This record gives sequence, C-alpha cells and structure tokens, in this order.
Amino acid sequence: MMQNKHNDGRQVLVCCGTGCLASGSKQVFEAFKSQLESVEGVEALVSTKATGCNGWCEQGPLVKILPDDITYCLVKPGDVSTIIQKTILEHEIVEKLLYRDPLSKKRIKSHHELNFYRKQKKVALRNIGEIDPASISDYMEREGYQALNKAFSMLPRDIINEVIKSGLRGRGGGGFPTGLKWMNCFEQEASRRYIICNGDEGDPGAFMDRSIMEGDPHTIIEGMLICALAVGASAGYIYVRDEYSLAVENLARAIQDARDRSLLGRNIMGRDFAFDIEIVRGGGAFVCGEETALIASIEGNVGEPRDKYYFPSEKGLWGCPTVINNVETWANIPVIIGQGAEQFASVGTENSKGTKVFSLVGKVVNTGLVEVPMGTTLREVIFEIGGGILRGRKFKAVQTGGPSGGCIPAELLDLELDFDSLAAAGSMMGSGGLIVMDERTCMVEVARYYLNFLAGESCGKCVPCREGIRHMLEILSRICEGKGRSGDLELLENLAETVQEVSLCGLGKTAPNPVLSTLRYFREEYLAHIEDHLCPAGICRDLTRFSIDPIKCTGCGLCKKSCPADCIIGESKAVHSIDSTKCIKCGSCVDSCRFDAVVINQEVGK
Amino acid sequence: MIILIDGQEVKASSGETILSAARRAGIHIPTLCYHENFAGQGQGRCRLCLVEVEYQGVKRIVTSCTYPITAQIKVRTSSLRIEQMRKNIVMLLYKQAPASSLLQSMYCEYGCQENLLQDNPGEKCILCNLCVLACEEMGSSAISLIMRGTDKKVATPYDEAAQTCLGCAACAAICPTQAIEVMERDGVRIIWNKEFKLLNCKHCGQPFATEEQINFVDSKGNYSDMLHYCQNCRQKMAARRIKDFR
Amino acid sequence: MAEDAIHAEGEIRTIIQAYPPEKRFILAVMQDIQKTYNYLPRQALLSIADYTGEPFSRVYSIATFYKAFSLIPKGRYNIKVCDGTACHIKNSSVLIDQIYSSLAIRPGETTPDGMFSLETVNCLGACAIAPVMMVNETVHPKVSSSGILEIIKGYREGADDAE
Repeated sequence: MMQNKHNDGRQVLVCCGTGCLASGSKQVFEAFKSQLESVEGVEALVSTKATGCNGWCEQGPLVKILPDDITYCLVKPGDVSTIIQKTILEHEIVEKLLYRDPLSKKRIKSHHELNFYRKQKKVALRNIGEIDPASISDYMEREGYQALNKAFSMLPRDIINEVIKSGLRGRGGGGFPTGLKWMNCFEQEASRRYIICNGDEGDPGAFMDRSIMEGDPHTIIEGMLICALAVGASAGYIYVRDEYSLAVENLARAIQDARDRSLLGRNIMGRDFAFDIEIVRGGGAFVCGEETALIASIEGNVGEPRDKYYFPSEKGLWGCPTVINNVETWANIPVIIGQGAEQFASVGTENSKGTKVFSLVGKVVNTGLVEVPMGTTLREVIFEIGGGILRGRKFKAVQTGGPSGGCIPAELLDLELDFDSLAAAGSMMGSGGLIVMDERTCMVEVARYYLNFLAGESCGKCVPCREGIRHMLEILSRICEGKGRSGDLELLENLAETVQEVSLCGLGKTAPNPVLSTLRYFREEYLAHIEDHLCPAGICRDLTRFSIDPIKCTGCGLCKKSCPADCIIGESKAVHSIDSTKCIKCGSCVDSCRFDAVVINQEVGK
Repeated sequence: MIILIDGQEVKASSGETILSAARRAGIHIPTLCYHENFAGQGQGRCRLCLVEVEYQGVKRIVTSCTYPITAQIKVRTSSLRIEQMRKNIVMLLYKQAPASSLLQSMYCEYGCQENLLQDNPGEKCILCNLCVLACEEMGSSAISLIMRGTDKKVATPYDEAAQTCLGCAACAAICPTQAIEVMERDGVRIIWNKEFKLLNCKHCGQPFATEEQINFVDSKGNYSDMLHYCQNCRQKMAARRIKDFR
Repeated sequence: MAEDAIHAEGEIRTIIQAYPPEKRFILAVMQDIQKTYNYLPRQALLSIADYTGEPFSRVYSIATFYKAFSLIPKGRYNIKVCDGTACHIKNSSVLIDQIYSSLAIRPGETTPDGMFSLETVNCLGACAIAPVMMVNETVHPKVSSSGILEIIKGYREGADDAE
C-alpha cells in the first residue's frame, strides 16, 4: 500500500468523472497506480487519486500533477510511463500533452490559466476534481465537517437565520428561498421531521448533481446534517436517479465512512444528536424530481404528485414536516455556515445570491460544468468560458431550464444569469442546463423534442398535462413532417394556456414553456414549416434537401467519405453531387465540408 | 371557521376541503373524479372542480376537492376564466373518451367548439380512478392504474383474470362514463376477463350476485341468511319485519 | 421463460427478504431483481405482493410505472442511445435510425435472437461527449453515424462488453 504524505509528497489526480471515464481514464488511473508502485523510492512520496469530474470533458482524460500545477489533456494509458519518467522523476513538462490554445497556438501549462477555469468561481464544486470522493480524509483536509462543528455551537434558529441571510435559493429549479423552507419546517408542531436530498436530476443535458454526488458526496451529507440539527430531524433520505449507479456507490461509501467516524448515527461528534441517511434509488421517472412525487415514491407508491396546497415543509414525507432540497443547494450549506452568510451573499445579484453551476453543452467549443457567480451574462459564459460556437458557426439560441424552460435568442445574450432575469425572458433557471444551439438547430424540432420528452414522462394523473401535452405534441409533429395547417399555432397557444393554468404539478405547468418561448422568438421558423414546407435549419427530414453548390465545391471528397448512406457521387477534384433518393438527411456532409458547398433547401445550378 | 362561497357564509372546519364545505351548503361545483364514498380523498385528477380562492388580496385558481380550508377565504365557484378552463377540460376529456355519452352531452353543455384535434374512437374511460378506489374499498384491489402518461389505463395485472376479483361490478357501478364492460348471460357474468357464476335470489329467483362475492362477504362476518337474497327482496323482507314488529 | 422463473423462485425470495416487509422497499427490491434477471418475472411480483402484504395489482402498478423495469427480458446487449438534449441536437435520432437499418429494431424492442435490445434514455449525464450510447455498462462517447455501425458489428462478432 502506498504511503500518503500529502505535505511533502506529490499528487497525481486522474479525473474519473463520467466524461473522462468514457474516454478511458480508468485505464490511465490504473496505469499510474501500478507503474508508480514499481518505481523505487517514488511510492512513498507520490499518491494517485481518482477524482470526480473536472468539468472539462472535451479534453479528457485529464491528469493533474500537484503541487506543480500541471494539467495534461487527452491522456492515454500509453502516455503514463512518459509522464512518470519526465514529470515525476525529472520534474519536466511533457509539452505535447498540454492543452494547445486554438487561437494563440500556445501550450497552456495549467488549467488555471484557461478562460474556461479562470472565469469560474467554485463553491458548490469546490472539492470536485481535487479530492478522491472515496476518501473522507480528503474531505476533512479541505475544511470538511468544520461547518457542522460550528453549527453545534449555534442555536437552531440562528443556523436557520444564517441560511436566510445568505439569500440562498433552491438550485433545483424552483428557486425557493432555502432558509424560509427550513424555518417553515422548524416552526411546525411535530414530533418527527425528515430531510430529503433530491438527486433525481432529470433535465436532459444537466449533470451537475451527478458530478457532486459522485465527486463530493460528503458535502451533501454535511449539508443535511446541519439542517437536521437546525430543524430537528433524525432521518434523512437521498433520492438518487436510477441511472446514476456510480453516484449511488460513492454516496453509500461516504455514508458508511461518516458512520465510522461518528458523523452519522447516534452521538454525532460525541453530542446528543442522532441522524442517519438512507439512499433511495429512483425508478426512471423524471416526474419524481417533483417534490411531492418524490415523496410519494419514497413512501412506496407510484410517483404521482399531489396538489401542493400544503408545502412539504408543512406536510411532507408520511405527513411530517420535511425539508427537501436539491443536491447543489445542499453543497452550498457547509460554505454558508462555515464562512458566514455575509461572505456568501457578497457574490451574485440582489435577488440571486451566490454562484450557480451550469452544464454548458451543445454546439459550444468548451463543454462541461461551469460554476459562475449569479449575474454573469450569457455572453460571458458561452463565448468567454465556452469558447464560442463550434466550427465557427453562428449562435442561434441557448435553451435554459430544461424541458421547463425556454430558448433565449441572440439579441438577449447580455442577459444576466439569475432567477428573475431568466423568468422575465420567458425561460427559467431550472437546474442550470445551458444547451447552446447554432443555425443547424431547428427551433420547431426543439419544441417538439421537449414535448415528446414530457409526454413520455407525464405521470398521467391529471387531464390537462396528459391530454394537453399529447395534443400539442401531435400538432408539432405534424408541423415537423410538413403537415402543418393554418390555425395550428393558435390551437397550440390555446392549449398551452390551459396546460399552464390547470395542470396539477410543475411538470405540466411548465410544459408549454419551450413551445411558447420558441414561438415568441422564432415564429418565422414555424411559419416556414407550415406555409413554405421548408425547414430552414435543415433538420426536419421531410422539409430538407441537401445539395452541393457546384461553384463552391472543390471535389475534395470529404463529404463523400463522411456519408454513411453512400449517396454522394463524384470523382476526385470534380464537382460532387448528392443523390437525394438515398440521402438520410443526417447532415454529416454539411459538417465535413470546409467550403460551405453543401447547401440547404436551395436550388443549385448544374 | 366561516368562509364565503359565492357570497354565502359557510361554516367549515379547519383542514376541510372547499368542495366538502360547498356540498354541505348545497352549492354546486361540477366534478368527475370525486365521489362522496371517498369524501376524504379528493383526487384532483379531472381538474373540473376549479374555483377561485381569494385571501389577503391574492387570488388563485385551485381544485376545490383537494384545497384545504385553513383561513377565512373568499371563494368563487365561477368566473369567466374558470368557465373557460372548464370548457377546455371538457373538450380534452371528450377527445380522450368520445364514446362516452356523458362527455358528449357535457361537450354541448359547456359550449365546446369543433376542432381538428385527434380523438380516441371508441374510448369511454377518463381515468378518474374511481373504479380502483371502489375495488380497494371492497377489499379486492383486483384492478389498478398501470403505466403512465397517455399509456395509463385501468387493468388487472397482465390483463388476466385477477385472482381477487369477486365480479361484484362495484367498479362498473361507480364509473361515471360506463366504461367498464359487464356481460351477463345465462347466469354467467363476465367482467375484467373473468367469468363468474351468478347466484339466484332465494326468493325471486333472479340472478343477483356472484358466488365469489357472496362467499367473500360471508367470510367477513355473520350475515346469516340475508346474503342469499337480492337487494329488492331484502328490502321487502326488512320492510315486512318492521311492519310485523309494529 | 416460465421454467427459469420457477427455478429462480428460491433466489428471488432471497433477494426480496433482504429488505423489511414494507411497501416502501418495493422499489429497491424491484431494482435488485431487474439487475439480476434483466426483467421482472411475474413470479417475482407475486412474491413481492405476498411478502409485503400489498395487493398484486398495486405491485404491478409500480412495476409498470417506472421505466427502470421491464416485464420482458432485455437483450444480451442492451443498447441505450441517449436522447438527452445535447445528444439530440448532435443527431442522436440518426443513430437510432442506423440501429434500425442494422438490427431492424426500434426503441423498446429486442431482436428475435435475444442478442440486442434498444432503448432511448433521457440523459446519461455525459453531455460533454455527446452523442452518447451505452451498451450494457460500457459508455461509447461521441458516436458518429458511421461509427455506430462498426460498434454494433463489434458486438455481433462477440466482442467482450467489458473492454
């Protein structure tokens, strides 16, 4: 077993978040472990850690060397021996494994120098990528459980007031003031109270909760402990989405480690305080991210929500006052209690304090998790941190808030990311998904996509959601197939109103948002589909035709090579053409052409 | 406490639903998924019972079958907005179950307009779940709501004859749209893919209940002979006994 | 299929009895059974009803509500194509079409020989490497429309799914 001298030893941190794992980082990690063990004299000084997601998945597998502060990218198992030889033993940098800035062409030594990281402020993600999530010692070395210790010296009401003062609002999408929720629970007359962590992250495109549960499980446990102490609860549940098996594993280990150190169970930290946590795995239902549906699920029922005329903080799990908060919300609690509310509230905007983790994905150069102060503009996040649009294309829209949110067009790029600004623009913060779209994204199809998603996830309990979404989806599908009729848009808007107003829960109430926001900002695209039977973005198959402009085509043959349907004909250096009878409209040719010769829905001369 | 419903003062206990208080005061609010047998369990599925609640200057549209009275609120059971929403709900329900005569008449009653939205030809079930609740109440729980979204439906497990089904047809009786098929012929009742032999009333000889149903009730307590008579005859016999007693 | 279920009855009972006989553990029991058998055998649902005292119809209702469970066995290679938003705008639907052209199955279906089954999932949380596809536990990043045919061919030729 390797010695672990953190003070004078070096560390090799191998990112084992999902993105890097998928690119083979596990093999890189094992290679480091086994090869370092066999190098004489080194094993006592260097420790290898598998960390959670660094957020920069494009460049993974990522390997960081500390305290040198070197970040190696796209590391393969074959590179490990070179790194050990040159960097560990000879203290030299392996240039070819450094990130190369595409504009300046310079090699960057550390990720800290990159815009992607420099502009971020990690609070909820403060430990991820820096610690081994399986090690409680790592967590404790970075002030872990010190906030809990401090909380023991505070009165319950003072703990709650600190959270209120911080201005923290729920990070799962609702944006409800967290402190008020706790206070409401605290003030109920009850003999039993419960704490729940909502880890049923369901927004497609969002993976911040996954990263926190996998990469820093103890921050959640500590947050829940502080709340349990404050409101007076003795049992907590972490509801984890079924698909997140690594999160379940890491949380389970963290819970056991905490128990072993008297941080969970009875007599916590030697005090007269008992609290324990149970993990509940979800069953694959997006609706269970809704508080009352989640509670129903824990109780052993189907995940059908109920009318929220009583808040869960009044009547929640088994009818008892329950605090239910999102993963990222919990991750902020130790920081608020540890550093104080004032410090926390010094960041952010007037009504949205602190930072927010966004998952920046889609047609953007740097994809991954990004944590920035509330109030940062969309432009900063997408262009400065995200590095702009892939392939130099034009920004078209960014979808925020998942299926409950809306699309923000280019003219609103200077919008400040906070709860109220996004709501005013017809969208919402949601869990923090930012899906960047370019001119090759069809906004009508995006609306159809989200409705299709919600149709499959609706629990089916109430009429407006179940039936309303079905009809809206049918209309949008017809439009995307070129069978749109006049009056369709008015019908959509009418249905949307009923679904919004009358649905029982948040899923239904917010379901029309993507349709309404795309209608608001991209109505002409809808009209092109309905009236002209054309899809301007070239996505809707029945309304798209790809052809090659003979003037621009150089005959390089790249499109032909990329075509999975073998429908492009042409000799080398001669003009190519597409056989539209075989074309499957996948768009690979458009993506591969470097001369903009593949055109959409245009007549081309011979 | 006293609340106002459509300007009328109504006494209500804390935690009671608006619908319950309204019914007691004789104020009508339309419902579909509500039944007085399950008064304590307003479901909020059909959303037809919408009312407007005003409290401390804030107005909200809520479902009266699930909204608990905890303060002195002002309730309006009808408004332009509420009527518009109810009309749309009825329209959606009709499209879901166009074969139901109840919904056909409600469609006209609420003034719904023709539109080109797709419907489910031949369907009568509006997924109000009352049949499931009735079956639970009987103690059988032979049927349940399965799947979710537009696939949601009432069924027995695997659509097979359920072991606990008594053939009592309480589900069919409580269904507001007569969506549950009960076939009776030659002393046999077929319901939910299960066949039952019908017992004849000891007095009038008419088939009135399934053997399973009678045996089940019998096992629950000492009901004596009365079990083997149909409802009509039982009433007549009870009436006679009272007459004789006098 | 029926024979397998009967054989496994003792095994099923062991899985179920690892939990207290309460309604609230039904979901967890079903997770374990699904993982073990790749589906929920009818016998298992009956045993759960028996053990917890819940009506069979209610257990069946839970089994059909949650998409994690299947009442029919999945294929030896269960393909999950992510149709989360990031993957969707990177043309995950083309991948689904490609699978159809190669294996003749649509989402929710299994090939007649039981080798492959296909489902679309909402988001695997790996959006930065979109479009993503999982085959059993293996994650395939940035799958292209031609690359997918190669991947399937690899599995067909008996590639080990734990590479």
